[in-house]
Formats: sequence, C-alpha cells, structure tokens
Amino acid sequence: MVETGHFALVLAFALSLVQMIVPLFGARLNNQRLMAVGGPVAVTGFALTALSFVALASAYASSDFSVASVWENSHSLQPLIYKITGTWGNHEGSMLLWVLILTFFGALVAAFGANLPATLRANVLAVQGAIGAAFFLFILATSNPFLRLNPAPIEGRDLNPVLQDLGLAVHPPLLYLGYVGFSICFSFSVAALIEGRIDASWARWVRPWTLVAWMFLTGGIAMGSYWAYYELGWGGFWFWDPVENASFMPWLAGTALLHSAIVMEKRSALKIWTLLLAILTFSLSLLGTFLVRSGVLTSVHAFATDPTRGIFILCILTLFIGGSLALFALRSSRLTAGGLFHPISREGALVLNNLFLTTATATVLVGTLYPLAVEAFSADKISVGAPFFNLTFGPLMVPLLVMVPFGPLLAWKRGDVFAAAQRLMVAFAAALLAMLVTALFIDGASVFAALGVGLAVWLILGALTDLAVKSGFGNVAAGIGVRRLLGLPRSVFGTAFAHLGLGLTTLGIVGTLCFGTEKILSMHPGETVELSGHTLRFVGLYPAQGPNYSEDRGRFELIGVSGSAIGEISSAKRFYPVRQMTTTESGIKTLWFSQLYLSLGDQGKDGSVVVRLWWKPLVTLIWGGGLVMMAGAAMSLMDRRLRVGAPSRRRGQASAVTSAGLP
Amino acid sequence: MTRKQKRLSVIAGGLAFLGAATGLTFYALGQKASYFYMPADLTTASLQPGQRIRLGGLVEKGSVERGQGATVAFSVTDNQKDVKVSYTGILPDLFREGQGVITEGSFDAHGVFVADSVLAKHDENYMPKDVADRLKAEGVWEESKSE
Amino acid sequence: MLFWVIAAILTLGASLAVLLPLAGGSKGASSSGDHDLEVYRDQLSELDRDAARGLIQPAEAAEARAEIARRILRLDNAGMAGEASARRASVAARLVATAAVLVVPLVSWGLYSQLGSPDLPSQPLSERLAKNPADSSVDELVARAEAHLAANPSDGRGWDVLAPVYLRMQRFSDAAAAYRNAIRLDGDSADRQAGLGEAIASAAGGIVSADAQDAFEAALKLDPANAKASFYLAVALAQEGRGQEAVTAWQAMLGKLPPDSPWRSAVEQALAKSGTPEIASGSAANGPAAGDIDAASAMSPADREAMINTMVAGLDDKLRQNPRDAEGWMRLVRSYVVLGKADQARDALGRAIAVFGADSDEAKKLTALAASLGLTATE
Repeated sequence: MVETGHFALVLAFALSLVQMIVPLFGARLNNQRLMAVGGPVAVTGFALTALSFVALASAYASSDFSVASVWENSHSLQPLIYKITGTWGNHEGSMLLWVLILTFFGALVAAFGANLPATLRANVLAVQGAIGAAFFLFILATSNPFLRLNPAPIEGRDLNPVLQDLGLAVHPPLLYLGYVGFSICFSFSVAALIEGRIDASWARWVRPWTLVAWMFLTGGIAMGSYWAYYELGWGGFWFWDPVENASFMPWLAGTALLHSAIVMEKRSALKIWTLLLAILTFSLSLLGTFLVRSGVLTSVHAFATDPTRGIFILCILTLFIGGSLALFALRSSRLTAGGLFHPISREGALVLNNLFLTTATATVLVGTLYPLAVEAFSADKISVGAPFFNLTFGPLMVPLLVMVPFGPLLAWKRGDVFAAAQRLMVAFAAALLAMLVTALFIDGASVFAALGVGLAVWLILGALTDLAVKSGFGNVAAGIGVRRLLGLPRSVFGTAFAHLGLGLTTLGIVGTLCFGTEKILSMHPGETVELSGHTLRFVGLYPAQGPNYSEDRGRFELIGVSGSAIGEISSAKRFYPVRQMTTTESGIKTLWFSQLYLSLGDQGKDGSVVVRLWWKPLVTLIWGGGLVMMAGAAMSLMDRRLRVGAPSRRRGQASAVTSAGLP
Repeated sequence: MTRKQKRLSVIAGGLAFLGAATGLTFYALGQKASYFYMPADLTTASLQPGQRIRLGGLVEKGSVERGQGATVAFSVTDNQKDVKVSYTGILPDLFREGQGVITEGSFDAHGVFVADSVLAKHDENYMPKDVADRLKAEGVWEESKSE
Repeated sequence: MLFWVIAAILTLGASLAVLLPLAGGSKGASSSGDHDLEVYRDQLSELDRDAARGLIQPAEAAEARAEIARRILRLDNAGMAGEASARRASVAARLVATAAVLVVPLVSWGLYSQLGSPDLPSQPLSERLAKNPADSSVDELVARAEAHLAANPSDGRGWDVLAPVYLRMQRFSDAAAAYRNAIRLDGDSADRQAGLGEAIASAAGGIVSADAQDAFEAALKLDPANAKASFYLAVALAQEGRGQEAVTAWQAMLGKLPPDSPWRSAVEQALAKSGTPEIASGSAANGPAAGDIDAASAMSPADREAMINTMVAGLDDKLRQNPRDAEGWMRLVRSYVVLGKADQARDALGRAIAVFGADSDEAKKLTALAASLGLTATE
C-alpha cells in the first residue's frame, strides 16, 4: 500500500508534465486533440494524488513506522484521530495535501470547464499543470513522505503535542484550500496573457474561484487564530507573526481581487489591474509557503526547516512570480481597456477599496520582509512586531472601514454620495450614539475605544441598511418589503453578510483590546480571585493520565452572586514523555460572546500555583465575524449570475451541469 | 475641469496617498522595529532606558528565582556577559535553564532588563534562530544537544 | 509481485488518459466568440431581472443595456475577421503527442526505480505485534505490552510485569511511572515500592534521592525483611557521608539474610568497598538488584549482555559527537566499570575531563564518581 502510494505520486508527477506541455502546444497549434488531453490528464492526476494521499494516511493510521515520516511524526499511543490528522501535521504530509488540493482544483476546471473557450481551458490547465509539476518535483526531491526505514523502528517519535489538537487538524486544509484556490485565478491570468486576450467568460470564472479561495482562506485564518489563542496559552488572537502575515497578505490581496473582479465582470473595466492582482495574490500565497517552510524568519509556528527546501521553493517562487510578471510586462499592452466611469461611483468605491487594500498588503509585506533585508545588508538583527503594524496597518484600515457601507449603495458608472449618505443616516446616528454611550457609561473607556465601538456599529448597521434599502423598506409596505428582501439576488446578501462579518470582527477586536482585563497571581487551593465582576475559586490541582501524556489539572469554580458555584473552568499542564515536552491547556469559559480565559503557570513549593486570568469581552465575535464573512462568500457563490451555459445546442443540459458543478 | 484635469487630479490624489503610506511605513520602521542584542553587545551599544529591544541568549543555569507572585528573575547569558532579566507573567512551557530564549522589553533605570514577553518555540530542540546563529558564530553552542 | 501488477495497471490507466483524447475524433469546437456572446446574453437577462426588481434605475438599465449591446457588436466584427479553422494535426503536433505518450511510463518507472523501495512491504504496527511472540525482539515484546496497556491502562498486573523490564532496559523514568501505576491500581507492596525506589534512584544516576528514600522506607514498612530496600537505604546513608551507619546497616542485613539470597554477595561487596574512605555511590544502578528480577524478564543472560554492550557502545559513540554531556559521561564511566572494563572506563574519564577542562565542576563531579567506583583518572 505504501509503495503503491509512492508509485502513484511519481506517476502523478509524470502526468503533470504532460498536462503542462501538451495542452499548451495544442492551444498554440490550435489542435483540438492536443488540447483535449488536458482534461482527462488533470482528472487522472488528481485520482493518483488522492490515491497517494490515502496510502500515506493509512500508513499513519496503522502506525507503519517503516515509513520515515510516520516514524518522525506519530506514535502508536496517539488517539486514532490525531494519528490521521498527523498525516498533514508535518512538512512532508502537508506538502502532499497541498498538491492534492492543487490537482483537485485542476480536476474541477477540467470537469466543469466545458463552457470555457477551448484554448483558454487548455492554457489554464497547462499553467495549473506547471505549478503541479514544480511542486511534485519539490516533494519528490526534498520532502518525499514515502521514504522508508529498514528495519522499521518499533515506536515513533510522536507528533508535536501542540499539534495534537482538533483545531490544527482543520486549520491547514482550510488554509491550503485558500492558498491553492488562488492558483486557479493565477492560471486564468497567465492563460489570458498567453492568449493575449481576455474573454468575457474570464471574469465569470475567476470570480467564483476567488470567492471559494477567499472563503476558505478566511476560515483558515480564523481557525489558526483561534488555535493560537487557546493552545499557546498567551491569550492573544493575533501576533503579527511572520507565519500569520504570510496567510494574511494573500487574504488582503484576495479581498482586493474579489472586489476588482466585480468591476471587471460587470463593467469590463480594470481588466489589466485584476489580472495583475490575481498574479500577485497567488505570488503572495507562494511567498507564504516559502516563509513558512524555509525558516528564514523566526516564528512561533514554523515547520521543521531545511535550507535545501528553502532554496528549492525560492526557485519555484522566482520562476512563477518572475515568469508571470515578465509575461505581464510583455503582453498586457495587448489587452484592451474597458468601460469608463466617474470617480464617484460603485467602480470608484471599489478602486478606492483596492487602493487601500493593496497598500495595506504592501505595509504588511514590508514589515514582514524588512528584518530579512536588514540582515542581508548589515549585521543587525531586528524584529518588527505589533507596534509597527499598529502604526501602519491601523491608519490604513480605519478610513477603509468608514467607507465600506457607502460602496454597495452607490450606483454603477456615476453615483451620488449624498443620496447614499442620506440612506445611511440611521446607521450613522446609531454609531454616534454607541460612541457616546461607550465614552460616558463604560468606565475606563478611552477615546479610541469609543471610536472603535462606533466604527463597528457603523459597519454592522451599514451592512443591514444596504439590505433594507435594496428591498425598499420604508417605501413599501412591510409585507412587500419582506418578499422583496427574500427575492434579492444572493450576491446582495453575500455582500451584506461579508460586510456585517467585518463589523462583528471589528467589534470583537475593539472589545477585547479596549475592555479586556487581566490578572497574574499566585493562588493556593481554596483562594478566590475577582476579575471584572467574575469570582473564581481555585479548587486545587489534580493529576490525571491521558493516552500519551500525564497532566496536572487545575480546577476552578466560577462563583455566582449567591456564593455557590455556577460553572467550572479547568486548565492543565500536560507532559508528553515521548518528546519530553510540557504544554499548557488553557481553560476557557464562554459567557455569551465573551470569555473568561485562564492559564496555569509554574507551581510553587508551598502548593501555590501561578495563574494568569483574562476577561475577554466579545472575543468570540472575532472568529464569529469570520464565519459570517464565510457565509457571505458562500451566498455570493450561489448567485445565479455566476453560472454561464456553454454555447451549444445542448444548452439546457450543459447549463444544468455547470450550475451543479460550480463550487 | 476637463476630463484630462480630472484624471490628473485622481492620479495625483492616488500618488499622494501612496506617498503618505510609504512615509508612514518608513517612519514606523524607524520607530518601532526592535533590534536584537546579545548580552555581550550591550557594552558596545548605548541604550536609553526605555528603548525597546530584543535580548536573546541562554538562560543561565541556576539563575532562575521566583519572586513575589508571578514575577520571575533570571539571567540571560552568552557565556561572555550576562544580563539580569525580570519578567512578570507565565513563562513559556519550554523555558528551561540552559535553553535559548528571546525576551523583549527595555532596561529600567537600575540596569535590569524588564521583559514583557519571553519567547521559546514549541520544539524540543528549539533554539531561537537569532540566538542560534549568534551562538554558533561564537562557538558556544553545538548542533543537537539533545540525546 | 502484487505491487508490480498494481503499478502496471496504474501506468496503463495514466497512459490511457493521455492516449484516448489524442486518438479521439476532434469535436466541433466553438469559437471563443460564441462563448463571449453567451456571457453577454446572460448579462442582458440579469439586467432585465434587476430592472424588474427595481434594483437599478430605468435610466441606468438602459445605459447598461446599450453598453452590452456595443460589446456584442464589437464581438461580431472581430468574429468575422478572426475565424480560424482548426488545422490538421501537423508534424509538430504528432511529435508532441508521441513524446507525451512516452513520458508517462518512462518518467514514472525511471523515477520510481531511483526513489522507491518496492520490496519493502507495509508494516502496520498491529500486524507486527500480532506475530508469533517467539520471533519478536525484546523491543517488540515491550511495544506489545505497551499497546496492551494503552488500551487497558487500568491493568495493574500489566504495569507490574512491565516495570522491572523497563528497569532492565534502563528506561528508568518509564519504570518509575510503571511502578507508580502498579501501586495506584493494584495497591502497595514491598516489592513495588522497592522497585519504584530503585527506578527513581537509577534515573538520578544512582543517587538515592529523598523520593527514592521515601519509597524504600514505605517498602520496609510493608515488609521489614525486604532486602533491596534495606540495601539501598544503607547506600543512601553512605552517600550522605554516614559511612559508619551504612556499614552497621549492611552488617545487620548480612545477619538476617538467608544464606542463598542473591543480596548476600552485593552486601559483602559493599562492605568490602566501604573499607576505603570513598563509599559506593553509583554502582547501585546496575548492581546486585539485577539478580532478583531475572524471572520477570524475557531475556537470556547472553542477550542481555549483548544488549548492554551495544547500548554502552552507542552512548560512547554519541558522546564522541556531542561531548558536552556531563550526565552521559557519568553513565558511560559507570557502565564500563560495571561491565568490568576498567581501562575503557579510565579512557572515557580522561576524555570527559579533557572536554570540560580539569578545573570545571563537571570534571570534579566525574573524578568524584570515578573515585567512588574505585577508579582513578590516571594510573
């Protein structure tokens, strides 16, 4: 089984070479047969990669320590679920997952691309094949997960305990679905450059892919942030760590792409820019992969690193980014510009959005790479942390967030800011009220806190206003309004939900940063502590034994007003003997949208233990907002406008296929 | 305004915006980037009390003292010099004597380094990269100390 | 064999994926203009829907409709000019097709022959553990016991059996944990407490720490005649510098021990050594205790000796690569002494001192250890 997987992987590499070259020639020679090779090869390549992945996963599940990567990252005593998730909890396996998703998306284009012009489809598959070939080669040359050990060791070295967690089991696949999803946008862009023309169906294909990728990337980032929050025990949800930035930059660029693709689809404007943005977004995804795998930057959550891998990925990076940008420089002048528009219009608002988002991406990029540059040109080592990003990223985001509610209310081509402002009066008044209430009635609220709350309320109500205006509430009877609301295109809901989610996340961040409190103290069993109106009693430390660890669990009771316990929180120090590692399991109690967060420190000699306690108001909204954003993307995807039939006599049939097929 | 003027003003506005963003970025880099030091560098570098830096090295053996409540004092050393560090909070799980750490914070008026964060990565052979590079360069530390 | 069949089938399938489209007839493809037209039609109908719903103003809708119409017109013009007919498969196309068909088997079999290990079967742990126990190595037997205990962690007897084996394998902290589990689940017994004490002491390099002492005392409380506990408590006394009390304790033991007890010789040795000022400290870890747990072990003495020799050689090797490991050196020196290889012990001691420098703390500790084992750095 293991060797079958290995062989399937090698075979998939061979097919990716074919996929890279044959359809490309086909499109050049306008040869139908050569172009037709792309589809079946892409699907078969995916099937083989999937076989290979299943083989590896089953080696992990059955603790086959004759496979080197299983031996290094698994242990027979791990619970089965972590044995399986361990498949992608390490460098080799996660790269295999990466190409699995890449080939999966390639197969989707092949299977449901019947409505694409044949040459475009062939070129897209060829570019997709080229990316695949590069990464298959990378895996086979530097990180082969199927290398064997003979004789096989009897016991593995265990998966890193911090990775033995459900959050981290879900996080990488989501993140890769996002990263790799942008590869499709990239392939479409490069294909358009190769052809020297952008078809009308181009934007219709790129937009859903951007939506899919963006949706998963949003989920992946939110999941990763939540994981870091509860697993690392520091109580922070974002560290501006290079690895986090690596996923955040494609997200920012992808958000810009999402918006510019709307303009392109609706108005055929911003074509060249959208194309460039698609290339940049995927380039940032590749850069993220490079930063995470090469270890050039210090990070809290990097993989075990190896310089040869870094150099290899750097070559891939240079090849694809350099190649596509060179192609862009050569060919972009052949692309025709699109429709005109007034600066104050929906298009204008979206351009502004792009300007802010790409600038924000650039500041994050500078902050992330600056230490590398400094190190390369001088002996100094520096680190760029939260203070830098707060000073640069913050000022860029605030005006953008203020403008968000205006965008959807402006008309295409030529809009009326005053009309839009009038419609937003209610939201504006409510935001102002929220600011005043915060400033006057909440103790210790700073000006920033009040502004932050106001901004969040503005965003949330602005999003709802958009829905209300479009369904005509206020002008028509409530019943008709509801009917019209339900009849609105899904994409309108998508926009509103995405912006609503953004508002919720903002509210969560403001609430946690401005109103959160924390305490560090040393406690004896029986002692109580009060934090922001919540009383906790330390019950004591209890040793316990897990399947592959032992732990000291500190139990705490939440005391209600009456003095009796109304809930329990427990935090633990776990010891994993195989790796001789200690981890902290934080204790979290969710009260509405807020959380009480607790983590154990060292034990004193006198039976006391250091406890760090946080009260984090509205913290769950940070990730809840992310989920709402994902829901928005999902709704947009279901919009019927994104389904285009193929031009043929079998039109009914074909459009049925595509409507079912588009993700 | 003619169409051309309009377009020019839009472009000028965009450029001004980018210029402002660039200016802000470099200002922030100058102000907020914290430099990395090893204890031996501190004699040569003149630091104001309160200036944020990162201090890296090994936790000196036998130097960890638990003080009042959650405050911990320890020394960071590069085997040439050592610096007293005080930190209030929960130390990372992998904080051990003789292991590498990076602390971030600033010196107080008495020359004690008051750290507000202490980093140690979740890896059994962990040595923060900055520290490892420097210690290797100085020959203090060899690869793979673990058994 | 089966693997080669599967590999051949996979290769065949992959080649077919390339071959079939190449061999297939060319479908009448539509030009890209048709596709664009389709999109524009769809945009028109969407516009109509939006206008009907009142999402956009009539004036705006009219403007947008005109714009789409212009695009359609432009498309028609372009379509007239650029309608290209599919060329017949040229020489180049045939060349590419042939290369593509060849690439699949050549690349895959070529690369796999370099990278793969086709003869190595899968070895899931459960299968390996299901093998006949007689064919298994000690490691495998232990792994089997561990798997059993992972599934039934409350099997006190299992821990009880495994603990001395761990001790034998020098997995001291595992042994201590296993003894603790056995005590927790099956209750106290003198043997278990004494074993726990020995595990803790061995893990600490032979030093009878307070924890170990507690365990031995608990054992004596349960069975005042427990030889191991008495012996180690006396060692503890010796380590504290109370040599005279230790000698008294050992002598008292000799009086009580039955004549065939394996402890007799150990006590006599200890007494003999205690004649010198430096009293035994480390030898206990690998000392006389070995004798009384033979029954629990699956190993023959020859196996065991071979295993210990390999372990010691491995440690020596590791220390040559990573010399700054004081505890490792201590273990190595002690091991050579126990194995009766005094020359090698002395050599190791010399190397260790060279590494740390003669004045270092480590060197002093090592010298003290060597002295306690009856060894001097240079003769």
